[in-house]
Amino acid sequence: MTSTLDRSTTDGIRTARDLGALDRRRLTLYRASKWALAIVAILIALLMLLPIVWLVFTAFKPESDIVTYPPTLWPREFTLEHFVDVWERIPFAQLYVNTIIFAGGVTIISLLLDSMAAYALARLPFRGRGVVMVLILILLMLPFQVTLIPLYDMLNGFGLTNTLPGMIIPRMTNAFGIFFLTQFFLSLPRDLEEAARVDGASEWRIYRQIVMPLAKPALLTLGLFHFQYNWNDLLWPLVMSSSLESSTLPAGLALFMGQHVVEYGLLMAGSLLALLPVVVFFLLIQRSFVAGIATTGLK
Amino acid sequence: METQHAPRRRLTRGIRIATAGAGILALALTGCAGQGTSSNGDNGDGGDGKITLTFWNGFTGPDGPALEKVIEDFNASQDDVEVKAEIMPWDTLYQKVLTAVAGNDGPDIIAMSAARMPQFAKQGMFLPVDDYYEDAGNDSAALAEAAINASVFDGVNYGVPVNYTPMMMYYNKDLFEAAGLDPEAPPTTWDEFAAMVPKLTVDENGDGKPEQYATALGDHETVPVFPALLWGTGGGVVSDDGTTSMLGDDASLEALNFWVDLVKNQKASPIGLSGADADKLFLTGKAATEIVGPWMTTGFEDAGLNFGIAPPPEGPTSDAVLADVVSMGLPAGTDDATKEAAYSFFAYWNSAEGQTTWADGSGFPPNRADVADKVTASPYPAIFGDAAVASRAKILLAGVAAGGTISETIFWPSLQKALNGDGTVDSIFPAASEQVQAELDK
Amino acid sequence: MTVTDLAPSATPTALSSPRRRGRGPASRRQLTAWLFLTPALIVLVAFTLYPMAQAVYLSLTNYNLIAAAEWIGLDNYIELAGDPAFWNAFWNTVLYAIVVAPVTVVLALVFAVMLNQAFFGRTFVRTAIFLPFIVSLGIIAIAWSFLLDPNIGLLSYWFGQLGIVTEQGWLSDPRFAMPAVMMVGVWKFVGFYMVIYLAGLQSIPAELYEAAKIDGTTAWQRFRNVTLPLLSNQTLLVSVLALIATLQAFDQIYVMTRGGPYFKTETLVMLIYREGFQELRFGYASAISFVLLLFVFALSMVQYGWLRRRAVTY
Repeated sequence: MTSTLDRSTTDGIRTARDLGALDRRRLTLYRASKWALAIVAILIALLMLLPIVWLVFTAFKPESDIVTYPPTLWPREFTLEHFVDVWERIPFAQLYVNTIIFAGGVTIISLLLDSMAAYALARLPFRGRGVVMVLILILLMLPFQVTLIPLYDMLNGFGLTNTLPGMIIPRMTNAFGIFFLTQFFLSLPRDLEEAARVDGASEWRIYRQIVMPLAKPALLTLGLFHFQYNWNDLLWPLVMSSSLESSTLPAGLALFMGQHVVEYGLLMAGSLLALLPVVVFFLLIQRSFVAGIATTGLK
Repeated sequence: METQHAPRRRLTRGIRIATAGAGILALALTGCAGQGTSSNGDNGDGGDGKITLTFWNGFTGPDGPALEKVIEDFNASQDDVEVKAEIMPWDTLYQKVLTAVAGNDGPDIIAMSAARMPQFAKQGMFLPVDDYYEDAGNDSAALAEAAINASVFDGVNYGVPVNYTPMMMYYNKDLFEAAGLDPEAPPTTWDEFAAMVPKLTVDENGDGKPEQYATALGDHETVPVFPALLWGTGGGVVSDDGTTSMLGDDASLEALNFWVDLVKNQKASPIGLSGADADKLFLTGKAATEIVGPWMTTGFEDAGLNFGIAPPPEGPTSDAVLADVVSMGLPAGTDDATKEAAYSFFAYWNSAEGQTTWADGSGFPPNRADVADKVTASPYPAIFGDAAVASRAKILLAGVAAGGTISETIFWPSLQKALNGDGTVDSIFPAASEQVQAELDK
Repeated sequence: MTVTDLAPSATPTALSSPRRRGRGPASRRQLTAWLFLTPALIVLVAFTLYPMAQAVYLSLTNYNLIAAAEWIGLDNYIELAGDPAFWNAFWNTVLYAIVVAPVTVVLALVFAVMLNQAFFGRTFVRTAIFLPFIVSLGIIAIAWSFLLDPNIGLLSYWFGQLGIVTEQGWLSDPRFAMPAVMMVGVWKFVGFYMVIYLAGLQSIPAELYEAAKIDGTTAWQRFRNVTLPLLSNQTLLVSVLALIATLQAFDQIYVMTRGGPYFKTETLVMLIYREGFQELRFGYASAISFVLLLFVFALSMVQYGWLRRRAVTY
């Protein structure tokens, strides 16, 4: 019962029906409200972006244009000097590599281990499940600053401080990731799995071939979360590495925050360069992780 | 349904394999990367009998290159010792140094603000270095007294000066002229300054917020200019011997009342500034004066300000001026060979050539007065190192282990309360004084 | 597929295949479960649980990171019970959480509903709202501080042009410092929760709305009776996460106000950091951490239980 004026299903809620005088007015109202929505939404978006926009513009301003009165958003002069200087002031390339390995390594390994654990908690009833669930929740609530020192001591004992594996290993799994995926798995329909189980498929196969594909949006979201969290983490790599060369980007950028003088231009330029991979990762996956799971395999 | 899953199955299988492979690859790569970085803190032989010393310090920003130059010269001047600097923000250094030292993973030489050294010395982190000063070969007699004594705690000296500077008053000559004041006659006493405030704090559009302030006084995250003002009337935060709180004394309250009134009621300075904010205010020409150290000269010059430098205004009773000292020390448990190597670096750093290079590159005054005339690259070391000012210089809370706590948790919060009108000076500070005494008695 | 089933999810009984005898499917399931769980558990136990246990031990000592720890029993806990700094931080934390968590969650839901419809610029808006989440909080807090600077900050300047004068500056004004850091807290996380809600919204079948429309319901009724209940899993997840995150607020506060002015924005994690890393009282800081942990745990359990009972599962 669709008319020629049917809107696409991505709308979700409204569909236009056959035109009559009443409906024509309704349609205009509908269109107007859509434009109002767009305007409001774009205003909100610009407000949300304000500090980030400031960051981007500041990276291109000479230092004298940054700390100045009256302040302007748009640069009075454009310069690329900060982008050049940043590579000379700190071992930027090395830090980039370190950060990619650290954040990337943690993300990949964590997704694997987290999802396995979540699958067990969500789908495989076992004695002690409640206890494990509570344990995960407790670990989730622990502020990181508390275990920092004992963890550092332990890794120091193993000789793993100042190494990338030392930074990655404690983060190979994550209470947040397990919790997040458990919730997600719990909300998935069981029909497919049950059918597969009846057919005699092993749990591993069900996990690999049925559940994980369905979980793609959640995995991508969690992956982005892990990636940006570790990419931007300052405290952990800072404590774990005793020299700059074995540290990560945030630690390098912190060098531009002097006690007395903050070198805003360099800091923002470096931050912008450091931000790119995470933003690219996000843009690549953003379509898929809001694509629904509803229509897959339910027919 | 099966056919629907076949391509997906292949895809997920591929993903699984790729993931596992990537994970293994990542670990392998990190293993290789990890091998490259050897464990630090190795004072062992560099193969040719050379001792390598890691030197942690907080000279980020433009001071870093100046520091590196002196170290380079030292390394080039002899073959036995090589110093390697690890520069990081001071905050970071304080966070890391404890864990690193406790884990035997720390640096060989640690620099820190002399005001914070007593706290760490009390915890047993530093090695006494009195024998450095006793050795006449180190030529420590030429160093400024205040710089040497800044790192003394409980009668024992734990550090050697890295830099030492008094705070001076920068003043904006153009703003003075615009206010009808003589640009070559900055205020020399508190009263002179107070008389200038109505002219220098300007609120043209009458909206209650001045467009320009007479000065920029920080009340958090700053060099402790405000507490040092208490010296002007003979008051202070803690007595010179570090045993008694003076915060509630009449002399201290007099100074506090004077300045809080000036700032709060006469709007001589904005409230709620951090040190960095105060610098930015002067930098943008919105403050006519600022009392701060030599590290701002480059920034102010780059901004094209027409500024002069003069000693801070004298108080009614005393002309003491705040001095800031950074010292370097050795972790307790340092072995003798490392210690000797470090001492040779300390001696070079504080030698005539070392200090000349440092002052030339950083704009800081040299730690020793006898090289003042050799510093040519910039006029500021001479100004900040002027003997007349050096004789007035005084360190705040020297040798007080609870110094950091007293400043951060008692003085600044009390000052902020008074400036925000959440109580009066006379009601807040005597109570604060009791807290200070409690800290001192611990 | 029953949608209106509100009972907690019951574990379906495994249909045993006639080919498998001997080892019951139940115990096979148990073993499999543990196999799946073990790798993650090993890492968690070794690198989180064990250090946590050590920290518990340290909370019963006067450890200062350099000298050996001396046992002092419950003294740290007794001290914190009477420490005004602790209670100040406690109430600041509660205040922060009570405001920021609900505001963030509700705003995330509003944004998600808004972005669930097609309109011009939708992808741009979605990206813009999510972007704060992936930017480093430490750096962006510096950006916020600069924008909010009363003298040279853009926001203050623009407000000044509009006639709103900010003399002191939000971050050092005891009345506005907390709202300012709260605002940044909401700003940072709303995008992440929004995405979770968006995924949930997109999985609600359109037929349900069709059916509801045929019955002649209003948009608000559809939202209340179709959308909200079907988002209950997401609401559970988001609420628990928001509560935990806000009770641990630290990063932007450290950069923007350092807990000031005079401790008005000092939260419990800020206090833990201050006591541990600045006062070097690591044992005491550990004790505070565990009190915080217990508090968060208790609150989360209550919230989790309450929301779980209302969750819809298939």
